[in-house]
Amino acid sequence: MAKNFTRRAVLASAPGLYLASKGARRAYAQEKTVKVGVIQPMSGNLSPYSQEGQPALEYLVKKINAEGGIKSMGGAKIQLVIADDASQPARTASEARRLITQDDVSMIVGTLLSAQMLAISPVVDEYKVPTLAMWAGGARASYLYSLGFPYDRGYAKTMADFAGALGNYDHKINTAVIACSNYEAGQQVTKYLRTMLPERGIKVVAEVPLDTQAQDHTASMLRIRSLKPDAVIGLMQPREGILLMQARYGMNYHDSIFIGNSPYSDQVIWRELGPDIGKAVLTRNLFGMASYSEGAKIASMQELAAELRSKGNLKSEVGQATIQAAQTARIMQQALELAGSTEREAINQALKKVNIPFGDPNLYLARAEGLAFGDDRMPKDSTSMMVQWNADRKLEVVWPDLYAQTKPRV
Amino acid sequence: MRSGAFRFLGNPVFWLVLAAAATMPLWLSPYYLGVATIALFYVGLALSWNIVAGIAGQLSLGHSVFMGIGGLLSSALLLKLGINMWLGMAIAAAISAVLGAFIAWLDFRFRLSHLSFALITLAFAEMGQLAAVGSEFLGGASGLFLPADHGSLLDFEFGGQRGYFYLLFTASMVCLVANLVILNTPLGYYLRAMRDNENAAQAIGVALLRNKIIAMMISAVLTSIMGTAYARYSGFVDPYQFASPNVSVEVVLFATIGGLGTVLGPLVGAGFLVVFGEIVRGQFGGTLPGLHFFIDGVLIIVVILLMPRGVVPTFVEWWDRRHAAAPKDPGMIAEVPTKT
Repeated sequence: MAKNFTRRAVLASAPGLYLASKGARRAYAQEKTVKVGVIQPMSGNLSPYSQEGQPALEYLVKKINAEGGIKSMGGAKIQLVIADDASQPARTASEARRLITQDDVSMIVGTLLSAQMLAISPVVDEYKVPTLAMWAGGARASYLYSLGFPYDRGYAKTMADFAGALGNYDHKINTAVIACSNYEAGQQVTKYLRTMLPERGIKVVAEVPLDTQAQDHTASMLRIRSLKPDAVIGLMQPREGILLMQARYGMNYHDSIFIGNSPYSDQVIWRELGPDIGKAVLTRNLFGMASYSEGAKIASMQELAAELRSKGNLKSEVGQATIQAAQTARIMQQALELAGSTEREAINQALKKVNIPFGDPNLYLARAEGLAFGDDRMPKDSTSMMVQWNADRKLEVVWPDLYAQTKPRV
Repeated sequence: MRSGAFRFLGNPVFWLVLAAAATMPLWLSPYYLGVATIALFYVGLALSWNIVAGIAGQLSLGHSVFMGIGGLLSSALLLKLGINMWLGMAIAAAISAVLGAFIAWLDFRFRLSHLSFALITLAFAEMGQLAAVGSEFLGGASGLFLPADHGSLLDFEFGGQRGYFYLLFTASMVCLVANLVILNTPLGYYLRAMRDNENAAQAIGVALLRNKIIAMMISAVLTSIMGTAYARYSGFVDPYQFASPNVSVEVVLFATIGGLGTVLGPLVGAGFLVVFGEIVRGQFGGTLPGLHFFIDGVLIIVVILLMPRGVVPTFVEWWDRRHAAAPKDPGMIAEVPTKT
């Protein structure tokens, strides 16, 4: 058989093959699509974000497409074009340029932490491409929106408000140490906590910046123990959170209340500390901010979590990044519906009008005032829940009262 | 300057390649032009580093400090004090030169071995990053965000992709010419003599301190200028990129794989590996994340095992053998360091 495929035969069939491929391409083009670029840290040190979030994003997009796609565009299907930025901000900018100029995407979404957001900003403004970041603490470019917590009214205010609110549960906080990871977001949150805590009657007795390169935080914990503050408050990266808790366990220190962000409320910390250390330090005097908690009194969040667990092909437990990615998909859907066009400027204008009210089945995050972007292109309502761990590794929401399952355990 | 540099610069193939590269903005898509611009940045860094490490045999792991000074300080001077970035670039380059001279003096004063010198420069790199992250003037951990580019050359604005390609193209060519000139002037011979045997070089009258300082200062200034140029191109100056010791390690890899101590080695190493890595990640990053890291690793192992002197010297040797050509051109190939 093989000898039948002569060079002449192949050359003779080439025009036919070309026409056939062109026809197939035309048929594909007839099925309307909206190309959305997805920049994820698929490799590198931030890859846990994409491992947790990407399956949820893909599941939701598949679901949106199966339910008729973008109706204002005649049922156009969302097509995700995925790029890996290798967890390096410079690569984020490079991948954005590729998605925009090579793949001609209508908008970009992605994990995009603050450094990635800053790196991508000149590019998205240059090409005027609406971009939605899942985690950035700010939105520098005029075409960039973020679902993350702003440093001031997101992270710092939530932690300061909760520290102040502990007084309502007979655990008045008078003194605090600010212990943030010494990186971009940590320095910003420290700056805001410095003013917000005294406004709530809490005296800042010291600042203990946590070195992001350190292998051990015993020295930091020794300093904290010597100061014996009522609370140790700060934003940290997972690694610093884990090392600080290891040091706390090593010193058997339980005299302060620890208040932090997602590293304190993510399952990863149990995995890293192990069950014994975890039980000793995580279930005592420790509270973390959370976008998601299994027990939160938010029906849409619980339904989504159950659905993702059963059909979502997740690679890990439902976590903060899972819910954040799912919410991104719903914002993207609403923006595209409002735009009714694949034009970038139309989508940019539509993002300004996105509004998912409280109680909407598509609102998965704990946002009592619904989800809409303010003039700074960050969520208007940026509050978060505070949670505590049980010995069975389950989270309980303790604040704010709207979502709380129980009282803070101190 | 000896005839070697003229032979190199008079080679029509060199000018043909240069002309072809200069036309890239006319036919490359913005994405690939961006990749080419990043590659040129690394080419410039690798060539600058090559002066100290390849020609003079001082394995510096601290060049990220000079890049950080070039990128962060010039940007901070613009943003915080309103100092024009051209002047900022000159100030940063001058400070880099002074720091470079100090490091070279340390090396001379304490007669550091290769390992000690590498470790001391690595310590400088680590301190540099900590200083950058801890300094509010330099933007702290948040880095610095430069104002939008309006294409005003007087304000060090080059008006988009094409402009920045030509800026980095010119800067990297300056680095190439600097290598070429050094290799073919008495300084190059002194540096190579010092690299091969410092005591013997001193015995025949080579001024160790003076030459070490000159080499390090030239290298530091060029690295700093590359840092400023890349900072303006990227718009966001991230201390974890600009002052990261990882940059030094990347540059070492590029130059070593291409061929340490040669002019074309760092150019080929950085040019190929950066472009290849970017394209592989761009094409397969979504489906096979991390593939580019894996391929990079395999390439490094293969080159080190099969071409221990680097790709360019191996190729030149092969070419010479095959064509029984004229003696080796010192501008193209030089011996690998032998000092231990």
